[in-house]
Parts: sequence; structure tokens; C-alpha cells
Amino acid sequence: MRPELNRRSFVALAAATPLLAACGGGARQKAGTNTGAGLRAVLPSYVPSGSVRPDIPSVAGGAGAATDPAFLAYPSGRVATVHGTPGRGGSYTAVTPLWGTVPPAGNSFYEAVNKALGVTLTMKPADGNNYNTIVPTMTAARRLPDWIQLPTWWNAVFDVGGLAGTQLADLTPHLAGDKIKKYPNLAAIPTGAWQTGAWGDRLYGIPSFSSGFVVAGAVFHRRDILEAKGITAGQVRSADDLMNLGKELTDARRGVWAFDDVWTYLFPAWNVPLTWDVQDGRLIHKYEMPQFFEALDWHHRMARAGYLHPDAAAGQNANADARFYSGKVLISGGGTGAWNLTDHQSGTAADKDYRRGAFDFFAADGTRPPRVAMGPSTNVVSYLNSRLKPDQIEELLAVADYLAAPFGSAEYTMVNFGVEGVHFTMEDGVPTATEDGRKFVQAMTFPFLASPPAVISNPGAEVVTRDYAAWQAANVRALYKPVFWNMNISLPRSLSAASAAQAVEDAVKDCYHGRTKVSEVQAAVSTWKTGGGGDRLKQWMTDNVLDRYGTGR
Amino acid sequence: MSASHTRQERPGLRIRLRRDRSLLIMVVPAAVLLLVFNYAPLFGLLTAFQYYDPPAGVWNSEWAGFEQFRRLFADPLFWGALRNTLYLSLVQLVLFFPIPIALALLLNSVLGVRVRNFVQSVVYLPHFFSWVLVITIFQQMLGGAGALNQFLRSHDLQTWDITTNPGTFVLLVTSQVVWKEAGWGIVVFLAALSAMNPGLYEAAAVDGAGPFRRMWHITLPGLRGVIVLMLVLRLGGALSVGFEQFLIQRDAVGHETAEVLDTYAFYYGIATGDYSLGAAAGLFKSVISLLLIWGANRIAHSFGEDGLYRR
Repeated sequence: MRPELNRRSFVALAAATPLLAACGGGARQKAGTNTGAGLRAVLPSYVPSGSVRPDIPSVAGGAGAATDPAFLAYPSGRVATVHGTPGRGGSYTAVTPLWGTVPPAGNSFYEAVNKALGVTLTMKPADGNNYNTIVPTMTAARRLPDWIQLPTWWNAVFDVGGLAGTQLADLTPHLAGDKIKKYPNLAAIPTGAWQTGAWGDRLYGIPSFSSGFVVAGAVFHRRDILEAKGITAGQVRSADDLMNLGKELTDARRGVWAFDDVWTYLFPAWNVPLTWDVQDGRLIHKYEMPQFFEALDWHHRMARAGYLHPDAAAGQNANADARFYSGKVLISGGGTGAWNLTDHQSGTAADKDYRRGAFDFFAADGTRPPRVAMGPSTNVVSYLNSRLKPDQIEELLAVADYLAAPFGSAEYTMVNFGVEGVHFTMEDGVPTATEDGRKFVQAMTFPFLASPPAVISNPGAEVVTRDYAAWQAANVRALYKPVFWNMNISLPRSLSAASAAQAVEDAVKDCYHGRTKVSEVQAAVSTWKTGGGGDRLKQWMTDNVLDRYGTGR
Repeated sequence: MSASHTRQERPGLRIRLRRDRSLLIMVVPAAVLLLVFNYAPLFGLLTAFQYYDPPAGVWNSEWAGFEQFRRLFADPLFWGALRNTLYLSLVQLVLFFPIPIALALLLNSVLGVRVRNFVQSVVYLPHFFSWVLVITIFQQMLGGAGALNQFLRSHDLQTWDITTNPGTFVLLVTSQVVWKEAGWGIVVFLAALSAMNPGLYEAAAVDGAGPFRRMWHITLPGLRGVIVLMLVLRLGGALSVGFEQFLIQRDAVGHETAEVLDTYAFYYGIATGDYSLGAAAGLFKSVISLLLIWGANRIAHSFGEDGLYRR
């Protein structure tokens, strides 16, 4: 895991994980444990917040997708959305994963936030890289803290389905339906995100960083260099267009190749699902679809034609960013989290004209409307301990409501930047950490318990915010809900190898790097279906998920 | 120690404990290290006979008997990995093993101390580089977009596919090993050379032996014990050709060429959550390695060499 994760890259990183990849196992057999009707009865109402107005408002797309609202500057108003202090003086502990330096305990930032919250919330951030080994020791000893963050990609490792109701508190009586309106900031979190923390038709989790626009990633390009050649992203409307562009851009003599690896982000253009689809009521795996091999064939031809950078073909990805920044590669795939302030700073340091752009989603044949599968609304969900009494749960939900105050509000500023004049000062409209701020304020502690829906904000790099927001708006209509969307599925361990399909994925990689033919991947798929557990996996998914819970759409 | 001394009666345990007290205390940290990191993890081998499930733990996982081994031996990818491992190991034995010996002899013949120290430092250095760095250097020099191929391209010459050619992969990885480890490998041989009795050389020189005869009749026989020891150890490690080196370059030539037992255990065991299969592959490797090292040691003994220990 990369050491520095900001909110956007976090969402995108996790979204890039295929639906089932994280489902390693679980002692008991569990499945998508929510039924459609049962879940609808308990999901909280959604009441969007209007207290802080974004510079670029959200645009709604199909299937409940919506772009993230964007802010060109940090809101100056600092609206207060919570009246009084939410807490009544209770004492609690909270554990969250942290990819960064752990701030000293009892520092002035923690104290200031606790004072504002009206509780003593002892934050115990744990090393994010070892988090998957830390939590099971706590659950085995039944000694979870009062409040804990359990990222969804570890649902299987932590056996969250089994913990729900035994060690994690059922929040349904407090949040179901209109009850959530008692907590207006929590009510402003879209419904889909609450689904990621629902187990057995009951609400358990409190979602952070939810977004209505979660996709596996995009095919990026060097907008500055392409536009200098008179090429705009809109000219690419089919796979053939992209291949021709590859030919035009590649200039091996000058050490410039058109493409880095794009497979993971481009194959959906052939109408290939991330993993599963249902056709005529029957489950079908992407490996069984002819269009999967058409997509592979395109990538194979692209590599054979010499448009793929040789280092990418050699699997050397450590310096992929450097290739893109230095203009040795002009088209590259990646999570949308790459499109941020840090990227802009690194890029312009290498080339002052640097500007990242992304191609609009297109259908490979150029005629069908483009379709891209939505990822889960969030991957960051916190839970309360089942030992807490109902009034303690109410107190912590009031605290969560404070933490979920909208971007730019007085509460958000406190939680993310601390006290003005002590932990940060405003410089050119950008909250800038002071010495104390750098030491004590880890923006990724409290928001892992609860946070408002994601926004696009890159203070100091307006162009990034504008470009990314415009791209989201142009593409939001292409998003669709894939089968099993936002369903919590835990595969039994005996099927984890079949789900990972390592032998097939190896063959796929060899193929899109131009080394082996598509027919060899087809052979690997046949072996996987019979000997590698592919057929067993499909049968299990049919019996335990599709037939019992439906597609979840 | 004189012969009469050894024939003396052996002192009792308590006396020996008291006598060797300080030596024993010095051994304790190493022994603890060995116990904690080498012996205690042996307990984990149990997982090779289970359907191991981390949340359930080793005690509560379901027993599988030899099912994981049956799966392992039925997997053609496993046999491919074993074949690659043995092939790479054999080629490295032939092409890599003699180089540190030759280098040590060469360095030993250099009389200027400063030149010798300088050369020694330079050839040592790559040992301390990580594999990521070594492979990046090779990629920057010889890769498809590396210095060599960009030079060829700019002169309209045919480019040379070195880093992604499965056919020559074995030579590529062996040359990487030579570049990285040959300098480090000479340490043991240089130590053995420095222990050689200079009187033998002087006597031979007086008897009219030239440099080659001195090497053939004095140096090499003097090194024989060490060479055999290193060879036995090398055979014991024949199934451990390296992990990172192949992990990093696996995508460059494809898994069919670069998969070795260690990367197999990683990809098909750890990375896919199929820990028991990975443990089975690891246990298989350990058992074969043990047999190899035992066999090599037996052969060394039958040739009158010390091998790993004196009989």
C-alpha cells in the first residue's frame, strides 16, 4: 500500500479492487447477506445537505450515480451545522488504520476536537499496513474498542459478517428510515453507502468517504502534449481510434511510446463486466464472454505493433509515473485518485506544461453507448461495539454526525485542520498547517470514523479540480450498477484460489504484453473452469448468491 | 592440543559448564534467535495438512490429510516451477560457482595491497544492492527502452531483445547473479587462501615450480575442503534459486519461464489466500533440500572430504 493516501486516491484504490478479490474466506459460509426487500425497509432516508454550496454542483447520472461536487477554493463562510456540543461527557476509545506517522497521544489537536465533541474520545491509530493482523487478535479476545474502522476489502479477513450482531452494535433502531433525520449530517450520506455496512438486513456500519462516482479507473493521457499536436480527447470514440492514435504518437527513436499498461481500465469498453454478469437469468463470468477475448486481442495487437513502452511490457511498473511525467509515455491507465493536487505538483515539477486528461468512456465498436460499472459507494466503514448501551450509541452517533459535517463547514475545518491560528492559518485562501499542525493533525484519523461524502478539492490547483469535475460530468451517464453491486459477499476459503484465477490472470498479462496468443489464454480459461475451480465458483455463486439474494440491482 | 592431552579423562558436566560459562553465555542469543525464528515457525507446517483459515487459526482449521499435496502434485504449474528451478539451479552451478574461486585466485595473485583492496571493494559493492535496484539497472542498460537499444535505434540498427526474451532468460538471470554476488562469494575463498602456509610456496619455488604448478599443486588442493563445503551447501540450496529476482522479472518473460518454487508458493499460496497449498509447496521444497544436502554430504565423506562436518 502506498504510504500516503488521501481521500480521493483512497476511494479509487479500493474501488479498483474487483468485487470478489478481497473476499478471501471466512470461517463460516456467508453470502450477500442482504435481501432486496429486507434491506430497503431498514436503509436510512437520504436528505442532502444544502449548507455549504459547492462551486461546481453535483450532476446526477443513471443508476443513482452522481458526480462529486467540486470546490475551487476552500469555503470561507465556515457554516456551523451542529448546534451545541454533540456529546454528554462520555469516555470512549477508537481504533482506525493510519498510513502515516502516528501523532503523539493527548496532543493539542485531539484535545481541541474532544472539547468540540463534548466527549473524551481516545484515538488509537494503528499501522495501516499491519491492520489486517491487528484486528483479528482483538476480535478473537472479544476486546474490540468502542468504535472501530473495518475497511471493506478486509471484510472476509475480519469476518465482519460474523461479528455483526455478536461484537458489533446493530444501529438499525437508531438510523433506519426517517430516524436518521435526528442526525442531519449522517442523513446527507447517500443511501448506497449505508448498504456497504449492512449485514443480514440490519444496519451496522457508518460509511466514510462515500461517493456517487466510483469507477475502477480511467485511461489518462498527457493533455498538454496531445493538444499541442492538435489532438483532443473527444476525437477518440472507438478502439480503432485509440489504436490509430497509438501509431501516431509512438516515436521509438526519440524514446516515446504511446501506451503504458491500460488493460485493467480499458477492457470494460468491450462491454466486459468487472467479474460477473447475468444474462437470461444465468450467471456468466467475464472469462466466458467472447468480447473478453476481443478486448484481449486488441491489447495484444497494440503491444505487438510496438506502441507499448518496453518497460511496461517488461512489467517494470515502479517508474510508471516517471515515464508519464517525463513524456516517455503519453497514454496510461490508472485509478481516478491519481487526478489530484500531488499529481499536479509532481507533473509540473517534471514539465511546467504538464496537464493530465482522461479519455471519455467509449464503446470499443464506437457505436453502442458507453457503459462502465460502478464500484461500491465506499470501502471505509466504521462500527460501534455491541457492549455499548443505547444511550452511549446515541451519544456516539451524535459525534459521528459532527464528524460527517459537510466539506468547508466549521466542524469539518476543526476535524481536518484543527484550530485556526494554532494548527493552521489561511494563506491565499488555502488552509496551511503550522508547525503544531504538521506535528499533531493527522487528517486521516477522525474521518475514518465518519466523514461527509467526497468532494473534489485541490486548493492551489484550480485546473485539476475543473478538469476532473468536467470529466466526471461528461461521463456520469455511462455508469451502471453491475450485478451484486454493494452486496457483501464472503466466499468460502476453498474457493479463494478459483476466484483469484492466478493462472488465467498470468496468461492474460502475457497476452496483453504481446508475448502469448489469445488462444493460450483460452486454453488457460478451459483449464481454470475444470481443474482450477472455475465451474465450482460459478455454481457456488449461483446457489448461494444469485438464487438466494438476486442480482442486487 | 597434544595427543597425551586428549587421552586425559574428560571432566564432568558441571566442571565443563563452569569452565565454558562465558562461551555458553555468548551462544545464548544466537540459540534464542534460532529457536524463535527457525524452530518455532516449524509449528506452522501443520497448515500444510489443513484447509487453513486465518480467522479460525491453526487449532480450529479443518484437517485435510494429504489433500493439499495431492492438489500440488496434480498441478502442472507446480511441475513447471520445479523444472524451472532445477534448470536455473544447474545452469547457475555450472556458470556461477567457479567464478568466485577464479576471482579469489586472481585477487590473491595481485601483490599490490592497495590495488587488491580497491578491486575487492568494487566487486563487493553490488552485493549490498537490492534486487529491485539491480534489475532496474539491467533494464535501464539493456531493456527495450534502455541505453543499448536506444543507441541501436538511433543508428537505424536492429534492436536486441534481452530482458524480455524467454529463450535467453536463464543467461540473463545468471549474469545478474554473477554481477551481484560473485564479489561477495570470494570472501570465504580469500579467507582460506590467507590461511595457506607461505612456506609451501617458498619451498615449491625453490624446487623450480612456476606459478601455474604452484596453483595446481598447492593452492587448489589447499582450497579443496572449502570448495567441497560450498558445493554441498550450494546443492542443499539448489531449490532456492532466489525469490525477488524472479518475482520482479516474472512479468517480463512470463510465468512459464520465470516461475520457480518460491514464486509458485507466493502466487498460488499467499497471494490467493490458499495458504495451505503454499505451505505444502514449501514443505516439499524443504524435504527435497534436506535430502540433497544429506546426499551431497555423504558423497563428500565417501571422497574423504569433511563436507559439512568431520565424521
